[in-house]
Amino acid sequence: MIYTLMYGLTIGAILYFISIGLSLTFGTMRVTNFAHTITYTIGVYVLVALVQEANMSYSLAAALSILAVVPIGYVIERFIIRRLYGDSLDYTFIATFAVSLIGVDVVKWIWGVQPKALGDPIKRYVDLAGFMFPLYRLIIVGIAIALFLALQVFMKRTMVGKIIVAALEDRDKVRCLGIKLDKYFSSAFVLGSVLAALGGVLYAPITSIHPYMGTAILLLCFAVVIVGGMGNLKGTFLAAFALGMVIAITARYWPPGAETMVFVVMAIVLMFRPIDV
Amino acid sequence: MKPEARERNREHMVLDTNVLSRRSSWCAPNRPGWRHFYELLLIGTGFVALVPLLRAHRVTDFMIFCIFAMSFDLLYGYMGRLSFGHLLYLGAGAYGAGLALRYVTSNPFLAILLGTALACLLAMLVGTVAVRATGACFALINLAFNQTGWFLVMSPLRRITNGQDGFGVEAMRLGWIDFGDANFRFWFVLLVLLLTFSVLKRLVSAPYGVLVRSVKEDEMRVRFLGYNTYFYKWLTFVISAAVAGLAGTLTALNYAYVNPNTMDVHKNVGAVFACLIGGAGHLYGALVGGVVYMLISNFLPVYIRCWEMFLGFALLIVVFRFRQGIWGSLQVWFSQAAAIGRLRSHSGKEALLK
Repeated sequence: MIYTLMYGLTIGAILYFISIGLSLTFGTMRVTNFAHTITYTIGVYVLVALVQEANMSYSLAAALSILAVVPIGYVIERFIIRRLYGDSLDYTFIATFAVSLIGVDVVKWIWGVQPKALGDPIKRYVDLAGFMFPLYRLIIVGIAIALFLALQVFMKRTMVGKIIVAALEDRDKVRCLGIKLDKYFSSAFVLGSVLAALGGVLYAPITSIHPYMGTAILLLCFAVVIVGGMGNLKGTFLAAFALGMVIAITARYWPPGAETMVFVVMAIVLMFRPIDV
Repeated sequence: MKPEARERNREHMVLDTNVLSRRSSWCAPNRPGWRHFYELLLIGTGFVALVPLLRAHRVTDFMIFCIFAMSFDLLYGYMGRLSFGHLLYLGAGAYGAGLALRYVTSNPFLAILLGTALACLLAMLVGTVAVRATGACFALINLAFNQTGWFLVMSPLRRITNGQDGFGVEAMRLGWIDFGDANFRFWFVLLVLLLTFSVLKRLVSAPYGVLVRSVKEDEMRVRFLGYNTYFYKWLTFVISAAVAGLAGTLTALNYAYVNPNTMDVHKNVGAVFACLIGGAGHLYGALVGGVVYMLISNFLPVYIRCWEMFLGFALLIVVFRFRQGIWGSLQVWFSQAAAIGRLRSHSGKEALLK
C-alpha cells in the first residue's frame, strides 16, 4: 500500500508539471491548448537522442532538452496562439489540435514510431522506515513540491508573476493600466511549455516513449485542470496529486481501469460544478 | 348518419386539423415539395456519379461518413457545441447492431433499429450531464465519455465484445435484401443517406432549427424568451447521437465486422475537419466536407507519408483563412453573382429608359 501511495505521488508530480502550463494558458488567455503536450513529447525525444546517441550524462541532457523546447514554445505562441486571443473556443481548440497533429507527425518523421525506453538514471534505493523507495521517484516528488513553493513566491513577489496573477483575475483591467499583456502572455506560455518539458524529462525514464505519449497524458492533464479549477494554481497542485492517487489506487485493485477512473472523477466534478467558459 | 357518429366524425376532424397545423409548423412554411425532391435527386446523382471514379464499396464508405458528418454538423454547426467524443455514438450504434446480430436476431433491420436505440439511450444518459457544460468543457467531457466507452468495450465487457479483436457480423438474407452484396449495400446506404438528409433538413428549417441556431448565437437571450434551453440542447444532442448511431449500424453491416477502432477517440478530428472544411452550419457543407475528408484520408496516405501533418496544416488554414468552408464560400459567391446580375439588369433597364 505504501508503494501504491508512492506511485500515486510520482504520477501526481508529473501531472502537476504538465498541468501548470495548461492552467496558465487557459486562465490568462482563455485558450484551450491542445498543443500543450507537444513540447512534452519533443522534450522527451530530444532527451533520448542526447542520452542514447550523444552519450551525454543524464542531467546535462535533461537541461539541454528543456532549453531546446523554449523556441518551440515561443513559435507556437507567436504564430498560432496569439492570433486566437479572444476568438471562439472552438477555433482555438481546432487550431491547437492541428498544431499537435503536425508536431506528432514531425516526431514520427524524425524519430520513427517505434517505442523507446530509458533506464532509471540513478538506480539507487532509499530505505525509509523499512520500505525501499527508488531515489529517483523521491526526487521527482521533491522537485514538484519545490516548484510549487517557487511558483507561489514567483507569483506573489515578482512583477511578472503579479501581472500574470492579475491577468488571471481580469485581463481588461490590467490592460487599462497600460501594461502590454502580449509580452507577459508569451512568457507565461513559454514557462508552461518548459515545465511540460521538465515533466516529460523527469517522467521519461519510468514510462514508455512513443509519439502519441503527449496525447495520452494531455487528457489526464485536462482532467486535472478541470478538477482543480482553470487558472487556479493551488487547485491544480492539489488536483494533480489527488488524481495521481486515484490512478495509483485504481491501478492496484483494477489495473485496466486506472486512467478511465480519472475521467469518471472529472465527470462527477463537472456534474456538481459545471464550469461556464 | 346517426348524430352520435357525426359527433365522433367532427371530433376526428378537429383532431386532424390539429395535427395538420402542428405539421405545418413542423416543416418550414412556403417550402415547395418539389425543391426538396430536386435537392435529394441532386445529392443522389452526385454520389452515383462518384461510383465510376471510386468503385461502389468506397462510395458506400463515403456515404456512411457523410451521415456521421451530418449528425456532427447538427451538434457543432447548428447548435455550436463542439464535441470531441461523438464517435462514442457511432461505436455504440456499431456495437449495438453487431451484438444484436450476434446474440439476439439475424434480421438486419431489427439490428439497425436496436443499434440506433442503443446510441440514443446512451446519449439520453450522457446528455443529461454533458449538455450542462459549454465550450471547452463540453468537448472535454464528451471526450472523457468516449474514452470511457472505448475502455468499457476493450476491457470490462471483453467477454461479450471480444475486446480488441472485435467480432464478425452476419446478417440474414431476406429475399432480395442481401447485405453481403456490395451493390445492395450501396443503394441501401444511399437511401438511408437521403432519408437522413431529408429529415434533418426539415428539422433545421423548422422553428426548432431556428431555436437551435439561436442557442448557438446567444443562449442567455433564448432563455429570456422563456424557452427551456436545457431541454432543447439535450434533444439536439440525442437526435445527433441517434443519427451517428445509425451511421454506426451501417458501418457494422457494411464491413460485416465490429472492433473498438469504430470509437477511437482520435478519429473525432475527422468529423470536425469535415464540418469545418465543408462549412459548418450547412447540411450540404457536411456532405461536401465528408467527401473531401474521405478523399484526403483515403488517397493522401498512398502518396504522402506524413498525411496527418498535411491535415494539420489544412486545419490551420481553414481556421485562419477559410472559416466559412467550401459550401459557405460557394454560397457567398452565388449571392454575389446574383447581386451583380441584378445590378446589371437594373442598370440595363435604366439605360433603356434613358
